[in-house]
Amino acid sequence: MADKWNITLRVYRQKENETPHFDDFKMEVNPDEYVLDAVERAWAFHDRSICFRHACHHSTCGACGMRVNSVEKLTCITLIRDVTRDGAVLKVEPLRNFQVVSDLAVDMTPFYRKMEAVEARAVLPVTEAEIETPASSWDADDALYIRLSDCIECGLCISACPVAATTPEYLGPAPLAAVQDQGLKRKPELLAVVDCEDGVWRCHSAFECTAVCPSFVDPGRRIMNLRTQVVGMRLRKLFGKA
Amino acid sequence: MSQTTSSTYISRPRPGETTWLWLIKIVSGPLLLVVLVLHFTVNHYLGSLSSGLMTYDDIIRYFQNPIIPAIEILFLITVVTHSLIGLRGIVLDMNPSRQVLRAVTWLLSLLGVASVIYGIWLALTIASKGA
Amino acid sequence: MDNTQNKPSARKFLTWFNPIGRQTGSWAFILNRITALGLTFYLFLHLIILGRLAQGPDAYDSFLLLTENPFIKLGELAVVAAAILHGLNGIRIVLTSFGVGVTRQKQLFYGFMAIAAVTILFFATRMYVG
Repeated sequence: MADKWNITLRVYRQKENETPHFDDFKMEVNPDEYVLDAVERAWAFHDRSICFRHACHHSTCGACGMRVNSVEKLTCITLIRDVTRDGAVLKVEPLRNFQVVSDLAVDMTPFYRKMEAVEARAVLPVTEAEIETPASSWDADDALYIRLSDCIECGLCISACPVAATTPEYLGPAPLAAVQDQGLKRKPELLAVVDCEDGVWRCHSAFECTAVCPSFVDPGRRIMNLRTQVVGMRLRKLFGKA
Repeated sequence: MSQTTSSTYISRPRPGETTWLWLIKIVSGPLLLVVLVLHFTVNHYLGSLSSGLMTYDDIIRYFQNPIIPAIEILFLITVVTHSLIGLRGIVLDMNPSRQVLRAVTWLLSLLGVASVIYGIWLALTIASKGA
Repeated sequence: MDNTQNKPSARKFLTWFNPIGRQTGSWAFILNRITALGLTFYLFLHLIILGRLAQGPDAYDSFLLLTENPFIKLGELAVVAAAILHGLNGIRIVLTSFGVGVTRQKQLFYGFMAIAAVTILFFATRMYVG
């Protein structure tokens, strides 16, 4: 017999030109369901006007990112058990640092534009992926096989980043990680894009991006690695070795 | 709805921060820590007051060794540079307009140069008092 | 009220210091920013005060008596603590910036903060107990 919890789902509500407020929905849930299931239940049985983004329900599309009890989560893979308890409140809010379109849905356009501008790879050859396969075990033909990039462009890192809160132009964790993924050696034209006011130097090592990333991108580590790439290239240029 | 055309920014990167500024900050940091330990030990340990602080006479005597004003001046330059680049970084995070950023950069540079000149003058004045 | 309030804005700079919903790295960031501002303020205060040295022994030594005041002493300890916290946290940033311990930044932070706590306690004892 599955557990039953009674929770209060507290949903951020804001339609156009409205002051934001929260609506409470009391509901019975199985704690091993996901947060997105609770939001869908509120929509299905309580209020059909709740607006939220969701599609794949298995952490591939990156659409259902929200703030769950103040922390960025991909709600389709976040167990209710892990974020609240029986009889308690489960608060869901839209991602920070994006304009709210309606309730929990935000406008991701500026973020997608940045990802496009840095030519983020949607897929990459398996031989270049950071997976636990020793380089020696690949042969030439394997480079023909591609896999999806780890980044699902959910925007959680942008929402969690303290610097992104004050500077809309800051590239942010995922786009910087996408540059690191390609490597400045291969894409030297991206050097100017990241070695500037809105690039790698604006990161102040809060590592919130890494803490909330649901997909093993580890943007914090990649930004640090990108810094050493930039410093290396600048020093080589300075000494005329570029 | 006004959309941030980030592609505009990306094709024309804003030049407000560079590798060099960051490198100076990151290299001066550890250097500072080393000199600070020296500065600290001397000023809070070797002085004749019960608290370990140095009196006027202690300081004058201490500055007779030429290595001391040299260390203090080195400390001054690194600490002023590090702190003002850091302060500018915080201002930068408040996303100032181009004009404000330029003004802040000038103001902080001026403050930095003025403090270093003042500090060098002070160190040399103290050193000369013991002569 | 429009729907733009959730967008990034320079006016949200106070959110840098809000630890709610934030994790270890942010606490380090908050600590670093606060100590940075405090130390910068102190640096220039310190430089101005040291100007009394140029005015001769009386001007300086009479001022030095102020350091016996418990509040000033507490302030001094705060400066010492801020310098230690900022310095050690800074070492963590230098290390991770060059790829050292970057996947262990939380442990690095706790490690350095433990060292900081011991050092601050040492200075506090020294200042108050003698």
